[in-house]
Amino acid sequence: MKNAALLLCCLALSLSFSFSCKKEQAATVSSPVGKQVVIGMVPKSKGDEYFIACRKGADEAAEQLGVKLIWDGPTEPEAARQNEVVDDWITRGVDVIAVSVENKAGISTVLRKAREKGIKVITWDADSESDARDYFINQATPEGIGQSLMDNAAGVMQNKGEFALIMASRTAGNMIAWSAAVKARLTEKYPDIKLVAEEACEDRPILAFNQASAIIKANPNVKLIMTICAPGMPPTAEAVKQSGRTDVKVIGLGTPKANATYVHEGVTQAVILWNSVDLGYLTVHAAKALAEGRLKVGETSIDAGRLGKIEIKGDNVLLGSPFRFDKTNIDQFNF
Amino acid sequence: MTQNALNSVTMAGGRSGLMMRLLPMSQQLVVVVLLAIEIIIFSIVGRNFLTVENAFEVIRQNVEIGLLALALTPVIVAGGIDLSVGSLIALCAVVLGMSWQDWGLPLGVAVGVALLIGTAAGLLNGLLITRLGIAPLIVTLGSMSLFKGLAEGLMSGRAPFTHFSTWFNELGNRYLFGFLPEQVLIFVVAAIAFGLLLHRTTIGRTLVAIGFSFDGARYAGVPVCRRLLLVYCLSGLVAGLAAVIYVARVGEANAGAGRGYELYAITAVVLGGTSIFGGRGTVAGTLLALFAIGILRNGLRLADQPAELAGVLVGTLLIVAIIGNKLINQLTDLSAGRTLSIRRERGNPT
Repeated sequence: MKNAALLLCCLALSLSFSFSCKKEQAATVSSPVGKQVVIGMVPKSKGDEYFIACRKGADEAAEQLGVKLIWDGPTEPEAARQNEVVDDWITRGVDVIAVSVENKAGISTVLRKAREKGIKVITWDADSESDARDYFINQATPEGIGQSLMDNAAGVMQNKGEFALIMASRTAGNMIAWSAAVKARLTEKYPDIKLVAEEACEDRPILAFNQASAIIKANPNVKLIMTICAPGMPPTAEAVKQSGRTDVKVIGLGTPKANATYVHEGVTQAVILWNSVDLGYLTVHAAKALAEGRLKVGETSIDAGRLGKIEIKGDNVLLGSPFRFDKTNIDQFNF
Repeated sequence: MTQNALNSVTMAGGRSGLMMRLLPMSQQLVVVVLLAIEIIIFSIVGRNFLTVENAFEVIRQNVEIGLLALALTPVIVAGGIDLSVGSLIALCAVVLGMSWQDWGLPLGVAVGVALLIGTAAGLLNGLLITRLGIAPLIVTLGSMSLFKGLAEGLMSGRAPFTHFSTWFNELGNRYLFGFLPEQVLIFVVAAIAFGLLLHRTTIGRTLVAIGFSFDGARYAGVPVCRRLLLVYCLSGLVAGLAAVIYVARVGEANAGAGRGYELYAITAVVLGGTSIFGGRGTVAGTLLALFAIGILRNGLRLADQPAELAGVLVGTLLIVAIIGNKLINQLTDLSAGRTLSIRRERGNPT
């Protein structure tokens, strides 16, 4: 008998679901121009300092533009959780969904579903499959990264001498593109600079430390080590510091906070990365423009508040040349 | 066995068989009330919460955890536990990806291989528990680590498996008649099957008996080991099935699949009124609790609240449900009158 009563309860609940479906339907239709634009933004991971910095910029832009920004995502990088956030936002009905993609193939399925329902889709920081979104906010092209790294290295070396390169991996696509861009810039502009060693630290700090130590021992004339690997940068600087060779400097691709002490000690000269606060800021600007129909196919630039005019190449919105963190500004960044 | 088991036995002697049946019910009533409160609150503060689409969306997102909870209900009713199911999802997902992409098996066969691995892993748990007599908590704590480690080992240094065939991805993403997700059908079938197994078969009755008193069931002639082997094998098989659905839904097979799912599933089972010491529990209760937890996460998101709140609220839900259940039991005790308490004071009748 009690079982039957329970079953009835369940039935009643499910019925209440179905009865109320019709009147709520009207709310699903996305808001017309004039209403407040709602943007849902998904980071790869909420707890990561990098994404906390992105959020700062996104909040700033949202306040300026008067849009409603919902920021939610997994507390640790997990593929299924991102899908669930997007699924729920499709149900909720938002105007734009902007995702920093954790798993390309998986998220693309839900993003396509969102587009079918008339929701605009943007990817930022990491891209999905290109037919699953309207625009990708591209924080850095390989050419931009490579040129910026090499130009900064040349500045430190006063355009002549030997330098060594430690990259994260020899097989990852972005690493191949970045190191190729560095070398292209080298041959194009700096004939007096020579690349004497090239190592891959496999994203492991201890390997980077050992390789940097070996490079310093093996090459007495080396003036600079360039580390294109975020976890490898601080150990490279540590190896240089422990060797006592004050004539060797470090630059590379990394995050400001982890390298701040070495920058202040003068071992690391510059950390190259995009400004992730600006990345969040630009994403919200692009999202609003897209929702209001101001960002159309074929557009070559977009007006992004304090960032000025931002270039668009095809379906990529380009944040522009990378940011240089050094002694003067590194303490302002908390990621 | 400890004080707790003794208490249950005393209660069985003191109260009638009816009281034993009512015990899990009262907790289910509490969960039904909590569920109703959730639905009322979220339909006010959430957008598009009370819709058919969203009802199915909630179920769709909870199919994997729900399957685990279904399979864990008989395991826990029989006095056991299986902590390895979350890691087993990871292992089966990786094996599915490998056997398809590396060994060149047709995807349908790869699905079969994943289910087979799941069942074999469940059998391993069951054999260690029944043949060597090691506590299920310890065995599955070990195999949790083992399966996770195997999955990570197989995946070490390579990209996740992606780009599965269209029909396979549709299993996790297509809506029949425009609203019914395909995997929900599988879930409904599994729920009915487990409901029948636990409540309508002699096997189910013997599982309750084993959970209630392991030695008692054995002396009564129940093939205890075979029954336990069965539930652990089923648990493994269902974890394999959950892995297949997970990969189909997310479109990616990786060692991170199913991380922490075992705890969500166990929470649902316990919240649904199944005793963690075994001997009582219902599939209906598990389903109710599953929805109570699933709706919480979904509703918070539709109300633009951060999902971290869900963790706090699930914990609160569990504690409130248990306190509510205790209060109801005390009230029924009072109304049952003095005879009961006198009889209980005489102690264990067996």
